Amino acid sequence: MSDLIFDVKNVTLRFGGVVSLNDVSLHQERGEILAVIGPNGAGKTSLFNSLTGVYQPQEGTINFVGRNGKTVSIIGRKAFRVATYGVARTFQASRMFSALSTFENVKIGAESHRGIGVVGAMLHGPATRRDEKRSDERTVELLKFVGLTERANTIAASLSYGDRRRLEIARGLATDPQVLLLDEPAAGTNPSEKLELANLIRRVRDDMGVSILLIEHDMKLVMSLAERLYVLNFGGVIAEGTPEEIRANPVVIEAYLGSTTEEAGTK
Amino acid sequence: MKELLAKTYVRRLLITLGVVATVELMTGPPGSNTAPTAGFRGSFAESASFFGLFKTQRWVLFLFLALVAWGIASFWITKGPQVRTTVSRALVVPRQVTSRRPVRWGALGALLFVAILLPRIETSAFWQAAMVEQIAVYVLLAIGLNVVVGFAGLLDLGYVAFYAIGAYTTAWVTGALPLPPLFHHALNPFWSIPIAILLVMVAGILLGAPTLRLRGDYLAIVTLGFGEIVTIFANNLYGITNGSLGSNPIPHPSIHLGPIKYVWGLKPVPYYYLALGFIVLFLIVFSLLEHSRVGRAWTAIREDEVAAESVGINPLKYKVMAFAIGAASAGFAGVLTASQSNNIFPASFTLTFSINILVLVILGGMGSIAGVVLGAILIQTVTEYLNNGQHWGYQPSDLYIYLGALLIVMMIFRPAGLIPSKRRRREILLSEADHENTHIDEALLGDDV
Repeated sequence: MSDLIFDVKNVTLRFGGVVSLNDVSLHQERGEILAVIGPNGAGKTSLFNSLTGVYQPQEGTINFVGRNGKTVSIIGRKAFRVATYGVARTFQASRMFSALSTFENVKIGAESHRGIGVVGAMLHGPATRRDEKRSDERTVELLKFVGLTERANTIAASLSYGDRRRLEIARGLATDPQVLLLDEPAAGTNPSEKLELANLIRRVRDDMGVSILLIEHDMKLVMSLAERLYVLNFGGVIAEGTPEEIRANPVVIEAYLGSTTEEAGTK
Repeated sequence: MKELLAKTYVRRLLITLGVVATVELMTGPPGSNTAPTAGFRGSFAESASFFGLFKTQRWVLFLFLALVAWGIASFWITKGPQVRTTVSRALVVPRQVTSRRPVRWGALGALLFVAILLPRIETSAFWQAAMVEQIAVYVLLAIGLNVVVGFAGLLDLGYVAFYAIGAYTTAWVTGALPLPPLFHHALNPFWSIPIAILLVMVAGILLGAPTLRLRGDYLAIVTLGFGEIVTIFANNLYGITNGSLGSNPIPHPSIHLGPIKYVWGLKPVPYYYLALGFIVLFLIVFSLLEHSRVGRAWTAIREDEVAAESVGINPLKYKVMAFAIGAASAGFAGVLTASQSNNIFPASFTLTFSINILVLVILGGMGSIAGVVLGAILIQTVTEYLNNGQHWGYQPSDLYIYLGALLIVMMIFRPAGLIPSKRRRREILLSEADHENTHIDEALLGDDV
């Protein structure tokens, strides 16, 4: 058996009578760049929310292999707990702490998954100061990694779309994750930003050893980046394979024809 | 007529006249049963002195004030942005100076020095008592509520409950309640300080753990209920709290620790120093917290709870913590009030009290410790000044009219408070830019990080 990081089996998610995910099974290998594509409303973001503990599917299992090789079940865990296991994510519409600086945004990621240490914070003792220094260093490192060093003191809200994506990635990486889930990272970015983003995502995997799970509408980006893809439609997996296989798959072509897939936008 | 009304300056004049007429009525003489319109007539026709220059009627004076207000408003609306830019440009250098650490510490030291000397400067009995009962207590409550409302962004309308619990704990520990004290051994109020602080923090956790899963309005309603429950308990549990009759006399605090012996007596000044010591302590702890990762986590939750969770922040834990920590200073304020005023009554712990504290926090600047302290001192001092003797036809029962008006004016012109917290101000600017489609950088103009 290979080295799995995510193992999703027969997951069904319902909202009242609406079936958002229908018997979805998929898996991701450690170190893989995996993409999930599909028309609008296919259930991609629902899948992400189930993987990160935001939604609680009614049926099925989601197993995640964490830092020390221990398998944990995601279903039934709160979102913050899932994050501490090593699942980081970005959001479809960037969610930053808008009134804080870029630096503070990333620093919150770097320090929050450690214990609370409220007494230490009140007394501002040497241990707290050491911790603070470590978070600062990590933040500087990550800002350099994603190329936002010059924007460190900019208020997050005044960053460009491309920079916001990078900020979200840096914040996610700051939590020291095993896998990074990217929800439409290229939405709202221009072609040159897209290229940089693809390079950044590849570097996250290669240099940091973080697996990537990606939702994306931009076919060119997905096909150049992903090593394997799943295609969702109407809440179910309709195809799985390498980019070449997917491109040639008649079921996929049918699902995409007639639907307005290229409208990269909100679900 | 229509053309005239279409002109903005005419409309502005009419609005100003309307507002000033309202103020005139508010400050005018009261009516009576026999002459119901006397208050209305008197508000306009009563004789008044035109700034000591000549005798005239009130309406002349107020018409003059209206015209002045109209002029200022017109000037500010047309030239305001220009003035603001000029001022903020002129302030760049002074700001750099004041943001330097030694300067800040020096200023804080000077303020503390003034605070220490204050009872020597102001020696009247009225003001010395007011400094403790009306100012120090309110400052303590405001900085505590600021942790909950300002830092963590949780609207707590029942904050008075923690104050009440602090006060009743003091009464209980010192044996002033029907309920026998701990181990049937009455303690000195001084030792009730740690007990009360601990108990209110536990109360904060007990209230917070189930209710802080709620958000926004729902939380506000639940905390409102909690405040009411505590007051009603104090009122109705005769066997425990002695009901509306209030507690038995609570002794004055004293301390006997080896060579240190001190008894707080009837005079307010020693209580002032006790309060000052604890205020400084709370200020240090709260401001360290604000700039620690706990403070940043609070900001993160306030701004985007979903994003905060995605980086591993447990919102409930941090919110409960804000509740417990914010309650601590209210607990101490309760001890201070109980031990100084000798008796406590349920009637002192009402919803209005919670709202009052909230008003201080909002006016001072939510999330800004300096702002909240200034707001509390300023409002309480002015209120006390007005209550102390006759000033300009002010009547104590009118207080809320003026506070309400002040709140409205502040929300329009300075929504982030007297001394805004940087983060809070930015949040307001950003949400405004969102609504008005202003460019974000424009909204943040002059806001150096």
